[in-house]
Amino acid sequence: MSLRRGVRVAGATLLFLSLVPAMVVLARVEMSAGIRYVSATGTADECSAKAKASLEAYLPGATESSPGSGEWMALGQNVVTGAPSSAATVRCYPLPKGYVATFICAVQLPANPFGAGPLCLDIAHKFYGGAITPLAAMPTPTPVPSGCATTSLVGTWVSDADPKLTLTMDLAGGLTDSDGVSGNWNLDGTSATLTYYGTHTLTLSADGKHIRGSGYNFTRKC
Amino acid sequence: MIKTLPYRIVSLAAGFGLALSCTAAKAPAALDMFVGAKKVVENQPVSACNAAAKSALDGVLQNSLALGGSTSGEWEGYAPAVTADGTTAVASIHCFPVGTGYVVEFTCAAQVPPNADSASALCAKLSAAFDAK
Repeated sequence: MSLRRGVRVAGATLLFLSLVPAMVVLARVEMSAGIRYVSATGTADECSAKAKASLEAYLPGATESSPGSGEWMALGQNVVTGAPSSAATVRCYPLPKGYVATFICAVQLPANPFGAGPLCLDIAHKFYGGAITPLAAMPTPTPVPSGCATTSLVGTWVSDADPKLTLTMDLAGGLTDSDGVSGNWNLDGTSATLTYYGTHTLTLSADGKHIRGSGYNFTRKC
Repeated sequence: MIKTLPYRIVSLAAGFGLALSCTAAKAPAALDMFVGAKKVVENQPVSACNAAAKSALDGVLQNSLALGGSTSGEWEGYAPAVTADGTTAVASIHCFPVGTGYVVEFTCAAQVPPNADSASALCAKLSAAFDAK
């Protein structure tokens, strides 16, 4: 590689990398600490049982750091990002009479739909009683439409003229035929547009089971 | 010009390809939380715990905040913002008087990446800084 070309490659790399931060979704960690509950009665085991139950009311699968430690933690998985976006700890410490429990929560924003404060308040109130405020629901993956939906072409379509020819249409608007040739689909009302060896306009039947037009006839498996 | 144009296009494409290879391999950011050490210190006032907590948080994360006042025993620390949106490393130190001494707990959370330290590593640093006070 000549020096001039090397300089150009380096320049293009720097130009691209300078644009990357603007494309990355910014995120931050938010923590809630400061909720402490002192009970004049009860044992460390009772504290542990309540810690586990109160955590699992909001986050699945609370675990104890080591058996008998009284230190509990649970994570909330964000299925859309595929990574944990919320976490909470309840730590019990025995006193000569009763125990003290501390509540600490952390969330990753904006991936998590609720803040660390509301999460910790609900866990603490679940532990020792108090008003519970419903938290925003965790996002869920878009379900794949089942059956012959009239609002989507998602599914497997079989050519009426040639049963060996199938089109598999996905949620993202892509299609792939049985030979691996890909294209796209769009649906506006009952008007379907297939970009597949050209652009073709077809009509979706009222039962969502057939598309016909432009010389194509397909029946959906549903 | 006609001769150099293809070279420039190839150089630009190579540069973009190189840059993409640098960024595409990054793992998605995940929230990491860690239940850190719990220590019982005898014959020391809780004010000593508060002072050590503030010192440790200021030293490791550069920012500390006493929740409910400097005698509450509830301390939170956060690293300087590395994104325009906020911090990616936070920690809590909790001091509580017990008998003639106190108990201190460390709890940490971090977003990895971009934070270099995991929540566990952050808590280890805080615990060491607390002891060094």
